[in-house]
Amino acid sequence: MTTTTAAQPLLTINDLGKQYGPKVVLRDVNLTIQQGEFVALVGMSGGGKSTLLRLIAGLEKMSTGTLTYPDVAPVIRVMFQDDRLLPWMTVRQNITFKRNDAALQARSQKMLARVGLEKWADQYPAQLSGGQKQRVALARALMAKPQLLLLDEPLGALDALTRRKMQDLILQVCQEEQLTTILVTHDVEEAARMADRTIVIKDGTNRYAEKGPDKDDPAAVGVVADQILHDIIDPEGGPA
Amino acid sequence: MENVSPVAAVTPKKKKMNWNRLLPWVLPVLIIGGWQLASSTGFLASKTFPSPVAVFQDGVALAQAGTLQRNIAISLYRATMGLLIGGSIGFALGVLNGVSKLSRNLTDTSIQMLRTIPHLSLIPLVILAIGIGEPAKISLVSIGVLFPVYINTLHGIRSVDPNLVEMGTSYGLSKWEIFTKIIFPGALPTILMGLRYALGVMWTTLIVAETIASDSGIGYMATNAEDFMDMETIILCIVIYALLGKLSDLIAKNLEILALGWRQAKEAQQ
Amino acid sequence: MSRTVRKIGLFVFLLAWVAVAIYGYHEIHGSSSGLTTITIGYQTADPVDIARQRGDFAKKMKQKGYHVVFKKFQDGASEMQALKSGSIDYARIGDTPPVTALSSGTDLVYVASGSSKAKGSGILVKKGSGITSIKDLKGKRVAYTKSTSSHFLLLNALKKAGMSSSDIKWVNLDQSAASVAFNKGKVDAWVTWDPMTATAELDQNATLLETGENGVSSNRDYILATKSYAADHTDTSKLIINYLEDDMKWANNHHTKLITMLSKSLGLSKKVVKKMVERRTYAMGKMSTTAIKEEQEIADTFYAEGLIKKKVTIKNHVAD
Repeated sequence: MTTTTAAQPLLTINDLGKQYGPKVVLRDVNLTIQQGEFVALVGMSGGGKSTLLRLIAGLEKMSTGTLTYPDVAPVIRVMFQDDRLLPWMTVRQNITFKRNDAALQARSQKMLARVGLEKWADQYPAQLSGGQKQRVALARALMAKPQLLLLDEPLGALDALTRRKMQDLILQVCQEEQLTTILVTHDVEEAARMADRTIVIKDGTNRYAEKGPDKDDPAAVGVVADQILHDIIDPEGGPA
Repeated sequence: MENVSPVAAVTPKKKKMNWNRLLPWVLPVLIIGGWQLASSTGFLASKTFPSPVAVFQDGVALAQAGTLQRNIAISLYRATMGLLIGGSIGFALGVLNGVSKLSRNLTDTSIQMLRTIPHLSLIPLVILAIGIGEPAKISLVSIGVLFPVYINTLHGIRSVDPNLVEMGTSYGLSKWEIFTKIIFPGALPTILMGLRYALGVMWTTLIVAETIASDSGIGYMATNAEDFMDMETIILCIVIYALLGKLSDLIAKNLEILALGWRQAKEAQQ
Repeated sequence: MSRTVRKIGLFVFLLAWVAVAIYGYHEIHGSSSGLTTITIGYQTADPVDIARQRGDFAKKMKQKGYHVVFKKFQDGASEMQALKSGSIDYARIGDTPPVTALSSGTDLVYVASGSSKAKGSGILVKKGSGITSIKDLKGKRVAYTKSTSSHFLLLNALKKAGMSSSDIKWVNLDQSAASVAFNKGKVDAWVTWDPMTATAELDQNATLLETGENGVSSNRDYILATKSYAADHTDTSKLIINYLEDDMKWANNHHTKLITMLSKSLGLSKKVVKKMVERRTYAMGKMSTTAIKEEQEIADTFYAEGLIKKKVTIKNHVAD
């Protein structure tokens, strides 16, 4: 998507490891995420991809290794699997956190319009559908103009049609806001469709990387998806 | 699906409510009606169980003498003070122990132990420690009110979804914002439940507290009447308790409806 | 109901609540002044209640620099507790609570004693019950209230009739429960005092089998204070005794007014109150030797019965 000739790294991960007591979840993870890149993390459930995302988000502390930002530390926002909207706040309050700031109010208006929910600004989350709730969560994540957007399977609970619409919305928004994005998903189709690069997490480390398909070739998505799937279930394992 | 107008979802249905509104009053009216009938036909001896009319007349007489208003006002003052003091302490402790693990480990077990003591059994202790004046009565009410408020506040805060708190932290909310915008509103339904319960405890405790060395208040009116077998006043006091209890509950309920409007939004849709 | 209506309604409601509560606050903490406050505990229709209602006592005390606060009690036990804790400075009380309190180590002194109420206290039986003497109570159920003057009266009456306390069935009830039990015939006799005695005689077809007369039980009123308070306030005590004595003289000479006053505060008919008033006199004075002797008798009887655990010597607990 971005065609910056000299890609600059936003984030570098070296020899990262994470264990809960004796249980090793991640080990020897080495990764570099380029600015403006859309990266998908895929793998078996329980394979550590969500943990990796949470470590990058700073929600948990890594056991070993380093995570460095060569440039400046970015503003990071996470979209969770569940929408995590506050039920006692209206849609607008949920994205401004009831802070009374003119600039914030203006941006909230813009973001609600961007996700197509300006009419719903004064409704409570309980009155929204699942897809609408995730759109509010997206608007909320965009409020602080983040440089890095982390998506932790945010579309997992949606039906196929809504899911497809959300994928397109996220891709559009990421492009407009020039976001670096990391998406955790268990859906290889989704990864192939959305990501510039898909990283397969297996046995607690990053095993394969697949380049995203040519966007102009509709058949290529399927091919890449097949390749990713093959990587995930490959019994031989492969080079890190 | 996504483009439905939001207004349609919350249109209330108004006309049908009228009958349902009256329904709760059917039983009280029937009971009072039957009671009056039993009294006027002589089925109930007027000396041991006076008629509603007699009770009402007694109330009017006491109101004309000024004693009724005076005693109700005094009881209300004591109840309010007790609720404010006990409620604040209970709430503060609940918040502190809900938020701080250190404080919880230090004090919760002790508080839970104290809680199991029937607070009315503390009357002799309270009399010896602080006498029989206003502070004693207000303290008793405070002790009674403290525990339900404490337990519900603590429980409410402890059961707030930790995922929401995590979201708040990662979205850059300050500690104070996390408390006021996530933890407190999340705990509020449980806290209000505690308040509603505490209001009941408040009245029962006060009535007992007012029977010890008091020369005012509704509890005094009742025990004083008991000494002279003045059944009209005894029943009048019981009716007043019922009304005050209902009144407090009404306030609590409306407070709930106002503070928890977001929950109604959900019900309206379902 | 719209949210705004509900909001306004709740607000008005809470405002009214607070206003009434503030009114209540003023009712309790109404008057205060630069005077020395003394608090006197009393029970309904006792000598202090008469002084309180008449109003002269407080006026005269005010002239001497005292602000008198009257505190009403439902029973002697809680009044003794209040005296012990210092919530009240003086307590007007019957003849048995001081004995019980003294034996449990409370450091009290008798400040004053009143007149005998022997004629109004006694053992009630129903007319036509066939019980005509104390001896007839053998095996009968007799209602009394534990550790009160009724307890002592019954013990002493049995002793004087040459009976032992095991000859009757003792039924311990508080006075309102005893009244009902007696009325319904659940007990054969009821030991009590005025105005319950007068009420029962006039309204419940009852008659007095035995009164407190002839040394059975004088059932006097007493004024008590803690030892330390009394030692520091001998002048105050003297004033109180003097002014109460004035009120008692008034009570003896103004029966009509007194009956109206007491029937109102007791909530009883004038007929009943008249009977009660006319068979007693009112007095209040320094602790008399007779009174000391009577209290000693109660103390010894209660000790012998195991009602109190320690011997009490009354003359050591009399204010100077």
